Amino acid sequence: MIAKKQGINSTSHAVYPLRVVRLNFFILYYEHMFIYTYGKEGVNYMHNRIIFHIDVNSAYLSWEAVYRLQQGQTVDLREIPSVIGGNEENRHGIVLTKSIPAKKYSIKTGETLFSARNKCPELVVVPPRYTLYMQCSSAMVEILKEYSPTIQRYSIDEVFLDYTNMECHFGEAVEAAHKIKDRIRKELGFTVNIGIGNNKLLAKMASEFEKPNKVHTLYREEIAKKMWGLPVEELFFVGSSTAKKLKSKGIMTIGELANTDPSYLQQWLKSHGLLIWQYANGLDDSVIKNNGVPMKGLGNSNTIAFDVTDSITAHQILLALSETVGTRIRNANKCAYVLSISIKNDHLISYSHQRKLDVPIASTNSIYENAKRLFNEVWKGEPIRHLGIYLSSLCLNDFYQISLFETKEKEHKKLDEAIDKIRVKYGCHAVIRSSFVNSDLSPLMGGVLTEEEYPMMSSLL
Amino acid sequence: MKVLMKPIEVIAWFTKEGIPNPIKYRVREEEKDNIIKIGRVVTRTEEKLAGNRMLIYRCQTILHDHIKVYELKYEVNTCRWFLFKI
Ligand SMILES: [Mg+2]
Repeated sequence: MIAKKQGINSTSHAVYPLRVVRLNFFILYYEHMFIYTYGKEGVNYMHNRIIFHIDVNSAYLSWEAVYRLQQGQTVDLREIPSVIGGNEENRHGIVLTKSIPAKKYSIKTGETLFSARNKCPELVVVPPRYTLYMQCSSAMVEILKEYSPTIQRYSIDEVFLDYTNMECHFGEAVEAAHKIKDRIRKELGFTVNIGIGNNKLLAKMASEFEKPNKVHTLYREEIAKKMWGLPVEELFFVGSSTAKKLKSKGIMTIGELANTDPSYLQQWLKSHGLLIWQYANGLDDSVIKNNGVPMKGLGNSNTIAFDVTDSITAHQILLALSETVGTRIRNANKCAYVLSISIKNDHLISYSHQRKLDVPIASTNSIYENAKRLFNEVWKGEPIRHLGIYLSSLCLNDFYQISLFETKEKEHKKLDEAIDKIRVKYGCHAVIRSSFVNSDLSPLMGGVLTEEEYPMMSSLL
Repeated sequence: MKVLMKPIEVIAWFTKEGIPNPIKYRVREEEKDNIIKIGRVVTRTEEKLAGNRMLIYRCQTILHDHIKVYELKYEVNTCRWFLFKI
């Protein structure tokens, strides 16, 4: 009998997959980290949190549509093929937000206006209006503040709200979320999705489910049912190049990623591998930080004392600008999804070019590499008087800081941190790139764009 | 009623609490100015669409023995008046 039982045990042990053991181990490890970081009560709190992620549906476009209706226009931009992006004259702009009818023409966020117009000639293009967006965003936050003291403005149209222990005031989480969603629609005229989960990651994933004007939950126990069946690229922080790599090894869904051996992923994709494995398993312990008003964007530009006629010098200037823009975005603890460059030629004609990135960036090298690529794509070869780099569609880097991206972002980040520190301590010219040693160009360029200069920037987007 | 949203000139009085009350307005129609005295404000409501605060006044005026009902709008942020609906 005993021998038989042991026999069964040993077979079931063999069948029991190693990765499940590892998974349990990792979750245990996570709990230890909670105790270490937050104490015993903290563990309880961290484990039973209820987090809302409020995400405005097609934010820029909805906001513009509501504003226009309020001003007496009869056409609702949300009901016709329309996009927010660029200027009417500016053919280098990209689509920042699209309406649902525009989506039917397979117009995608991030594509150029030129290609969007090719797909749909009657497309209505509206330039962005950031002061309006800020007004809408702030009005929404005013409503949200009534429901919790702990609110984080993650980006201009996304807010995290800590609903833990608020049930006694406003009812069950789902009920409260519906109340909030309906109030925003009735009072402010636009719709939101609200995702509810036990941490920020789950809440954010939940708000991405069916849109618009919906409330979804994604609690820990719902991960397998609601998230694991999704294609792996839908997981937060899996960019298209990572998705391609994962798929090449047969990891097609979030669930398959979640059940892959984490040490294998770590070996293969470095810490980014471990991070996305944690996300696939719904693990995230980042806290909601009460922070200030979100920044719209930032940029630096430089008027050059002489005409630049070769791309090597132009690249050098872009590098110098990247240094200062990079320091500023890192100081603000932000990273950017959209990078634009502007060129003014010797006839004082300006043009610009921009791109929406797969994953947000903040390192000097990534800024430089992207700026250089945009420059090469658009420069017509004429003498240049003025160059600028602008970062926008900013988000907080609190997911980002533990993550290490697809490229060499990890090394970049460490290097940037070290350089930033040295410059603060010993002056901004204490460390410069060797390419500037025998050059007449300043290794750090660009003054700070003030709020008044911002309209110039918005015309770029 | 039809949405017009036409900018207009207005004479108004303000309460100590800062609430504007329109008395009469001037609107340009077919090359000539029309001045309309507001007979009575029936209701005053507030909206905050797109975060932009506006006061909406439902008003009536007796014109040629007929009660005419219309709505004015006051945009708080810009201090502008509009003939909203008529
Ligand atoms: Mg959104």
